[in-house]
Amino acid sequence: MKPNTWIALALGVGLLLALPALTTASLLNASIQMLIAALFACAFNVLCGQGGMLSFGHAAYFGVGTFATVHAMNAFNGAGLLPTPLMPLAGAAMGLLVGIVAGWFATKRTGAYFAMITLALAELLHALAPQLKGVFGGEAGISTMRMPAWGLTFGSSTEVYYLTLAWVLLSLALLYLYTLTPVGRLTLGLRENTHRLRFLGYDVHRLNVTVFAISAMFAGVAGGLQALNTESANYVLLEGHVSAAVVLNSYIGGVSVFLGPALGAALMTFFGYAVSDLTRAWLLYQGILFVLVMMFMPSGLTGFFQWLGAGRRAHGSAALVPLLVLGVLAGLLLTAGTVFTVELLQRFFSQDYRSMAALRPGAGWAPIALFGREWLPTAVGTWAVPLVLCGAGAALVLVVRRMWQALLDRAEEKQAAPHAAVAAQGDAL
Amino acid sequence: MESLIVSLLNGVIYGLLLFMVSAGLTLIFGMMGVLNFAHASFYMLGAYFAFALQGSLGFWGAVVASTVLVGLVGVVVEKYFLRRVHHHGHAHELLLTFGLSFIIAELVKLFFGNFPVDYRIPASMDFALFRLGATSYPAYRILMGTVAVVMFVLVYLLLTRTRVGIIVRAAIYKPRMAEALGHNVPVVFMGVFCVGAALAGLAGAVAGAFYTTNPNMALELGVMVFVVVVVGGLGSMGGAMLASLLIGVITSLSVGVDYSLADLLAWFGAGEWARQVGGLLTLKLSSIAATIPFALMLLVLMVRPSGLMGDKN
Repeated sequence: MKPNTWIALALGVGLLLALPALTTASLLNASIQMLIAALFACAFNVLCGQGGMLSFGHAAYFGVGTFATVHAMNAFNGAGLLPTPLMPLAGAAMGLLVGIVAGWFATKRTGAYFAMITLALAELLHALAPQLKGVFGGEAGISTMRMPAWGLTFGSSTEVYYLTLAWVLLSLALLYLYTLTPVGRLTLGLRENTHRLRFLGYDVHRLNVTVFAISAMFAGVAGGLQALNTESANYVLLEGHVSAAVVLNSYIGGVSVFLGPALGAALMTFFGYAVSDLTRAWLLYQGILFVLVMMFMPSGLTGFFQWLGAGRRAHGSAALVPLLVLGVLAGLLLTAGTVFTVELLQRFFSQDYRSMAALRPGAGWAPIALFGREWLPTAVGTWAVPLVLCGAGAALVLVVRRMWQALLDRAEEKQAAPHAAVAAQGDAL
Repeated sequence: MESLIVSLLNGVIYGLLLFMVSAGLTLIFGMMGVLNFAHASFYMLGAYFAFALQGSLGFWGAVVASTVLVGLVGVVVEKYFLRRVHHHGHAHELLLTFGLSFIIAELVKLFFGNFPVDYRIPASMDFALFRLGATSYPAYRILMGTVAVVMFVLVYLLLTRTRVGIIVRAAIYKPRMAEALGHNVPVVFMGVFCVGAALAGLAGAVAGAFYTTNPNMALELGVMVFVVVVVGGLGSMGGAMLASLLIGVITSLSVGVDYSLADLLAWFGAGEWARQVGGLLTLKLSSIAATIPFALMLLVLMVRPSGLMGDKN
């Protein structure tokens, strides 16, 4: 790693360590969630980004980790072999076990089949869980208590935060070290060319199962941390939307960089926490963001930063700044237009509004309160707002595109002209 | 005996419904190599479009209109979404359709609420067709089965007996050669995607009225359809048909079976032991009927990973 990376890493860890002193209690709780989601996404990425196997059922391994930890917490009471701080080990063990079994089946096939099988396995567990009341606690779920251990009570969220942070940092370090091991390098080989691996004499199925199990194990650790945090487990954890969230988060962050999924998961969890009181359509925004990333920025947020760095080296900061400013402005306009439309529609189609309209037939449509103003759904002005916002945004996007094209053309011209090429060489030296 | 026949009939009809959705999925996969995650969402859209339109168009008008509308949605998805990311590879296309299915489910929740809507079969269709002993059999179920069979026959004839079918099959088999012979392969792809989506929409419009229409129906059916194509072998129409019927019948039959693994083990004198162990061993088959298809899938993966009718590869 470059020295810059080390400095950034040290700063990041320092910030995380200082966080409890800087934030409020509810933000600290959100931070715990962010850390857990980040670890979960990184565990997922071992399989998906590095191994090239798309799993749509990772909630299963997260969920069994949580349940195993809750059972272990109830069994050991924070004493004996597994004191409270070591509890996620139970989640890891269970994740590993289930991962080996599920992985053996799932990796029988590759590609699209693999994706379907992982989804079906997760749904199998989800369908079975409510029936097995002894293990999964039925509808009510099971609850537990964090017992004091090692002189700590684990009563405050600060202590839970530090415990989570320690586990997440340790797991991330292990996952990073894993990428440096021979098996970690072979994982990339699984993504790139399995035929070649087989030709070189590796047992591909066994390798697949290993990678799957490692990914499931760390997902189990994340699940165990979730159990420590919430002191309960419910079979809702095994639902499809947990699996969906980790896929969305990882790709929004960018799967080609080690910490990309963690970044995506942390950001998305934070936004989810920040806007959950304001809107009911957060999942819709998340889905739209994911599709936009998939279509226009396939390597995710981290890919965007890399692209930015490359652009700066190629064209210089001065040429990029106006482009960026206009781009951000266009993005803001489009976002404002979309959010306005969605929120207006959401309120217009909500049950409250419908029943209110049904109560007063003939009174016409009542105005909808949104962003501190009343909007009449029948007024042209109401719908003109998002149209104008989106129109302006789209126009700006066109302008930015043209500017970017001009920039590329200029760079090409420079390279084409021989004296310019010599000059560029001089610059490089 | 009667209940067995009724269960069998129910199973076959549910299987035909599964086939209607999985046929489009497997057709699209065979052609473009894209696993369309949003395919079951098309099924859900069909039901919701029909529900929204039945007030103004009547039931049958709404069914036809929603089929066409879902087909158009399919065209939009193929032309403006999938085609744009095609050069990034199949995994990317799969992820994109996954995102689209997510958006569709959220949009449905936005417009219709996160609860089942009151989409019912019309009163004129709600009668018993025949009686089997004490049970009367609803005509609408038979109608659903008929729609599926007619659709299957039409698609089969279209693919094997017409000029369009030849071009489609050529485009699936050797897209570049078909293109070199002057056929517009992208349009063929778009057409097949449109037809596949429309079929799923039709299935949704017809079946949504009988089963429940809620924002979860896409996921529930989607998972089942994935199981069907894994069991049947992706890309094989015959395999999809066989697996759909198999899963439909098995699910339907197992609901009526009141035995558990412990009862089976009792035959070997291990019943007491099994009852003491409890858990999975004492669960009645009827209560875990929803998991049987998954178990079947795991079994098929163990003995024949390429699916019942899939190619060896």
